[in-house]
Amino acid sequence: MSSLSGSRRLPQVFPELAQSRRFQKRAGSVLWYLVLLAVSLTVILPFFWMIATSFKTPPEVFSYPPSWIPQALQFGNYVDAWHSAPFARYFTNSAVVALAVTAGQLVSCCLAAFAFARMNFKGKGFMFALFLSTTMISTQVTLVPSYLIVQKLDWIDTYQGLIVPFIANAFGVFMIRQSFMTIPRDLEDAARIDGCGRLRFLATIIIPLSKPILAAQGLFAFMGNWNSYLWPLIVTNREEMRTLQIGLRYFVSQETGTPWGIYMAAAVMVTIPVIVIYFLVQKSFVEGMATTGLKG
Amino acid sequence: MPGKTSISLVGLVIVLLIGAACGGSPAVEKTEVSSSGSIDQNGKITLEFWYSLGGDTGKVVEALVSQFNESQSEVTVNPTYQGEYAAIMAKIWAAISSGKTPNVAQLGAAPLLGETGAIVPISDYLEPGGFDRSQVWDVFWQYNTAGGTLWSMPFNNSVPVLYYNRDLFAAAGLDPDQPPQTWDQVIEYGKQLTRDTDNNNEIDQWGINTHENTHWYLSTLFLGNGAQIVNPEGTEVLYDSPEAVQMLQLWSDLVNVEKIMPPNQHSEARADFLAGKLGMLLNSSSSIFSMERDASFKVGVAVIPAVAGREPVIPIGGGSLVILKQEDEKIQQAAWEFVRFMASEESALELATKTGYLPIYSDLLDSPEFKAYLSEHPNVKASTQSLDYAVSIPEFSALGTSDSALRGAVEQVELGEADPRQALEAAKAAVQQSIQEQPQP
Repeated sequence: MSSLSGSRRLPQVFPELAQSRRFQKRAGSVLWYLVLLAVSLTVILPFFWMIATSFKTPPEVFSYPPSWIPQALQFGNYVDAWHSAPFARYFTNSAVVALAVTAGQLVSCCLAAFAFARMNFKGKGFMFALFLSTTMISTQVTLVPSYLIVQKLDWIDTYQGLIVPFIANAFGVFMIRQSFMTIPRDLEDAARIDGCGRLRFLATIIIPLSKPILAAQGLFAFMGNWNSYLWPLIVTNREEMRTLQIGLRYFVSQETGTPWGIYMAAAVMVTIPVIVIYFLVQKSFVEGMATTGLKG
Repeated sequence: MPGKTSISLVGLVIVLLIGAACGGSPAVEKTEVSSSGSIDQNGKITLEFWYSLGGDTGKVVEALVSQFNESQSEVTVNPTYQGEYAAIMAKIWAAISSGKTPNVAQLGAAPLLGETGAIVPISDYLEPGGFDRSQVWDVFWQYNTAGGTLWSMPFNNSVPVLYYNRDLFAAAGLDPDQPPQTWDQVIEYGKQLTRDTDNNNEIDQWGINTHENTHWYLSTLFLGNGAQIVNPEGTEVLYDSPEAVQMLQLWSDLVNVEKIMPPNQHSEARADFLAGKLGMLLNSSSSIFSMERDASFKVGVAVIPAVAGREPVIPIGGGSLVILKQEDEKIQQAAWEFVRFMASEESALELATKTGYLPIYSDLLDSPEFKAYLSEHPNVKASTQSLDYAVSIPEFSALGTSDSALRGAVEQVELGEADPRQALEAAKAAVQQSIQEQPQP
């Protein structure tokens, strides 16, 4: 604040200096935008390359120097990609699994987070620590035991095998609990006095107030499952149960050479839903990231 | 937030959990292996078939399966693509340990599954089924044998061949119809093909490179110089011999002395070749069709070069069909009928002419259909000519470790981290250790 009031007084005393400061400020923001521009270009470049390649003929994919804009748009790549595998089925599977996991995680995380944030019970601190400690175990470590459990339940090649293991998420519980704790206790006291039960308080007051964090957690869950590869790979054997990411992988062929144009066309189709959803919840998502101080 | 006591509790819990996850990794129980095939009330059999050929080749496999399904009304086969050799092998292992396997599978390194006890030796069916083994090149039977048992049925096979850019050959003043036949010629041609096209003192067009699976090409060199990969018992690898060291030295010289091969760029070799930045490429003959499809220049294919003064010795690669054990003899018999169809002379001709894989039947080469195919695809001649020199590297349990140890040796030598003798001795030591650590049957 002091520098602001200082600069306000400056024009009368040192007009030139004030001007140069303003210039510096402007130059600084131009520089800042240049940095941002460079970073966004780096992020966009792979997307651009994916889309460009998806329209190329096989020889053009490998041409050197590389062609940035395809010479003739090969829309046929998209048709070939769509017909080369049951993509409609893969889309359905991915959507069912990702949406079910997202919904399941939001419900289970909200309930657990509410208990940890708002209720008092014996061993709460220990239980919460136990929850958190599971985030330190990497999925690779639990892969084999999880597979054996799912297999014993006879859930190989089923939706429940793809969905149920991911319904609980310790990180989500942690994140949502932190957000719930910021809601003033007075609100709860007032609601309780008016005869509002715990579940109703959660559903009608806390959840509407926590939309940003729920949107963020929902997006994490959706993207994580939409993109997940290893688990669907090992628990699905039949074509009808495969998800998009597994379907995509089958374009890659060392032995006979990957058809890159078609592969990238399929990749574009797979990426579009995530981008659309990201833009839909972008505002809440950014708020969510700002509140957690975490970057996705 | 938890106080001090619960923090130490957290630590304890973490240690316990990690301990449980690492130490107590659940031993895969000996489950009864049963396959997922089934017989319905009307006696109709359904078989599950897993295969590992993607893309256009996969479509040919599926077409063969539907031909089988239409050829009779007793058996229906469900084909499922399960990824490339490494992926399908992992899935088969998981399926065996969970006790629910497919009935038939097509995959690489198939005879190694014999150790698991989950597959039926194909030799149980050949003679009783009236199959004449002499119709098929002997090398394919060897390729499917491990520990003296013929486990699997040859299906899709290929050889390493030399691809070359005919346009670059012509531009360098080389005759595109005279590809190099010996490694001395490769060096000579390679020097003419290696160029700095934009005069910035960096080479941007290289003479030769190999595809990523460098162990295959190095093995070809070893065998071509009289070295052996492994002893007949499969208990000791033999590539620390002078003949082998000499060949890795040759490889090293291509990179470090002659400077006609870029160091450690095998994963980009195919793209470089297709971009016209590489004169010659060692790669599998199964890529002939896709290479012709993806190249914007004229592709030439030749038999892999030999060591000067010696005949080429060419180790084959590829995949085979296995029958997995099932309790019901009827299902197992149906699986054999399917395998027999997939590996029949008609199917082999179709697979070969539509994918570029080798025909496994020796008399197919003289059939009018195959001759017509060769005149349409003259590049395939290089792979059929290779059959005269084809051998099979004996299957042994540490083959996977050995392959990656050889790839490691190539990398070390190319980057100048070890001399060829050291690199091969280290590779051998690693493989020997892996052989010793394996449970003895």
